[in-house]
Amino acid sequence: MKLWYSFLKELQLSSKGFYFYIEILMALIMLVVVLFVIPENFDKRSTEYIYVGLPKPASEAMLGKLLDSDTDGIVESVTIKVKDEELSTDYYESDESKVYLAKSESDLIKLADSKKQPGVAISLDEAGSLHYKYYLQGYESQKLKNLYMVSASKDLASLQEGINGQEVRSMSGDYEVLSDRANTIPALLTFNGSFMGMFIIAAYIFLDKSAGIIKAYAVTASTVWQYLMSKVLVITLTTIITSLIVVIPALGGKPDYPLLLLFLVTTGFFASALGLLVSSFFKSLNQSFNAIFVLIIAMMLPSIAYFIPSWEPFWIRFIPSYPILQGFREIILDNGDASYVLFASLGFFVAGSLLFIWSNHRHKGLLTA
Amino acid sequence: MIKVKNLYHSYSRDERYAVKDVSFEIEKGEIFGFLGPSGAGKSTTQGILSGLLRLQKGEVTVAGYNVKKISNKMFNQIGMSFEQSNVYNKLTARENLAFYRKLFDVETRDPDELLELVGLADKAKVKAGEFSKGMKHRLTFARSMINNPSIWFLDEPTTGLDPAIAATIKDIIWDQKKREVTTFLTTHNMFIADELCNRVAFIVDGEVRLIDSPRSLKLQYGSRFVDIEYIGGNGLVKESLSTVDDKDRARIKHIIDNNEIQTMHTKEATLEEIFIKVTGRGLI
Repeated sequence: MKLWYSFLKELQLSSKGFYFYIEILMALIMLVVVLFVIPENFDKRSTEYIYVGLPKPASEAMLGKLLDSDTDGIVESVTIKVKDEELSTDYYESDESKVYLAKSESDLIKLADSKKQPGVAISLDEAGSLHYKYYLQGYESQKLKNLYMVSASKDLASLQEGINGQEVRSMSGDYEVLSDRANTIPALLTFNGSFMGMFIIAAYIFLDKSAGIIKAYAVTASTVWQYLMSKVLVITLTTIITSLIVVIPALGGKPDYPLLLLFLVTTGFFASALGLLVSSFFKSLNQSFNAIFVLIIAMMLPSIAYFIPSWEPFWIRFIPSYPILQGFREIILDNGDASYVLFASLGFFVAGSLLFIWSNHRHKGLLTA
Repeated sequence: MIKVKNLYHSYSRDERYAVKDVSFEIEKGEIFGFLGPSGAGKSTTQGILSGLLRLQKGEVTVAGYNVKKISNKMFNQIGMSFEQSNVYNKLTARENLAFYRKLFDVETRDPDELLELVGLADKAKVKAGEFSKGMKHRLTFARSMINNPSIWFLDEPTTGLDPAIAATIKDIIWDQKKREVTTFLTTHNMFIADELCNRVAFIVDGEVRLIDSPRSLKLQYGSRFVDIEYIGGNGLVKESLSTVDDKDRARIKHIIDNNEIQTMHTKEATLEEIFIKVTGRGLI
C-alpha cells in the first residue's frame, strides 16, 4: 500500500511539474512531425539535369522516349532561378526519375552547380556515336564514376538487354518493408521512452535530493525501494501515455498493442533503472550531465544503423537501444516476430531488475549525500 | 530509550573522525540537549541515531532497535524535525501531512490537528511552496509528530522563528514531554536548551566534553553571589555578597530585614558561559 500511496503522490507531483508537460509537448511535436512533415514515403526518384545537343532527328527520338515514360505525357516548361538568373527548362517526370532538360550546355553547368546534382550533356562524337559529358560535384564515389563510364561505353539497348537477362531471386519471400513514416516510429519511441525516461527519472531524484525530501522519506517506515519504484512507475506510465499519443494517430490499428504495451513497460523499466543508477553516483544533475550525455550518445548509435542498414557493426547489437529499436519495428510490422519482442522484453525486465537492485543498494547508503 | 556506546564516525573512512568515542544514555521521557557549535558533530550523531547515516563503529540502540541493522519498524517510533525544511513544495500543507501519515504502520495524528497545533490551520490548502521559511519550518516540525513518535529528534527546532512562534514550539515540546516522549534536541541555542532540557551534552570537535543537567552545571560553574540594590542611609546602595560565606549570608539577612530592597539577583552563570568555560570554545 505504501508503494501505491507513493505512486499516487509522485503522479500528483509530476502532474504539477515541469517535466511531465515537457514529455507531453515532445510527444505532440513528434506526432506533428510524423503526420505533417514526414511523408508516407520519401520521394526516391532521382533528379537529373540533361542537355541534349543532338541533331534534330536523334534529339526528337530521345525526347520522344522521355515523353513516353512521362507520367502524364505532357512536357512542362519549368523556370529555375539560379542566383539572379532565370533558366527555362523542359520538365519530364516518370516513376523513376525527374528530368530537367536544359536549353544549353552552359545552362546545364549552372543548374548542376546550383542544385549540387550531376548533369550530363549528350552529343554525337566525330564517329557519330553518342557522347556523354558528365558534370560532377567532385565528391562522387569512384563506384558512381565507374557506373557512368560503363553506361556510356555501351549503347543503352544492349545494356537493357543484359539487365533483362539477369535472374534475381529474393532470399526471403515474406520480407516486409515499412513505409518511411512508419519506419521513423521505432526511433521516436526509443527516444521518447528510453532516453527521456532515463534523463527525467535522474532529474526527479536530484530534485528530491536538493530539497532534502529523500531524507524525510528515509525516516519513515517506508523503504527506499518503494520510493524509487514509485518514480519508475510514474515514468513508465508517462512513457506509455506519450508513446500512445504518437502511435495511435500515426499507425492506427497496425501495431500489436498488447505487445507494444509489454515492450514499453519493460524497456521503460530498464531505462528508468539505468537513470536511477546514474543518479546514485552523483550529487546533482549538473554533475551527472556528462555521464547522461555519453549514455545518450551511445544509445543513439544504433539509430544510425537502423536508418543506414549497410553500417551495422557487430558490437552495436550490444547497445540496449538496438534491440529496443528492432523490437518496436517488429511490433509495427504486420508479420512481426513476436518471439523476438517477448525475448527482448524478458531480457530488459531481468536487466532492469538487476540495475534496480543495484541502484536501490547504492541509494540506501547515500541518502544524506 | 537511546543507548550510545563508543560511537565513532568518519566521512572519509579514515582516522579523521567527525564523531569520536561518544557515549551516553537517554531515559524515557527525557529531553536531552546535544549542544555544540557548527561542525561539532551534532548532526552526524543525530544522523546515526535516526538511521540516516550508517553506523560505522560503536554500539547504538534506539527504542530497543540495534541501529547496526535497522528495521523499518523502528521508524514507526521515531519522529524527526529537520533544521532545513524539506516538504513537497507542490503539495498543500494538508497534502504533505496526509501523504506522510500513510508511510507508517502505526496510528497517526490528524493532519488538521497538527496544523492547528503549529498555527497553520488557515494555510492547510496552501501549497508549501508559497510558505515563508518559518511556515515551512513549522510544517516540517508538525510532520515529525504525525506518527506519535516515542523518540523525537529535533534539529534546531526554533531557529529562524519569531519569538511568539518559538514559544508555541517550546510549549509543544513540553507537551510531548508530558506524554513521555523522549526528545533528542540538537541546537547551538543555549537558551532553548536551558529552558527545555533535563540534561545536556557539550560536544566539540566530535567529542562529548560533559553531560549534566543545566541546573547542576549552573550550581557547579556559576559564581555563588547575590547582587543586591537597596535604599540605605545615603541613598541607593549596591552590594555583592556570597551565598556560602556565613558572614555574607548574615549580611544578606540583615539587609533584607532592615532596608527597602530595590533589586536582588543571583549571579548565575549562563549555559553559554559554562560551555565556553568547559570547552574553551564559543558556540559560533
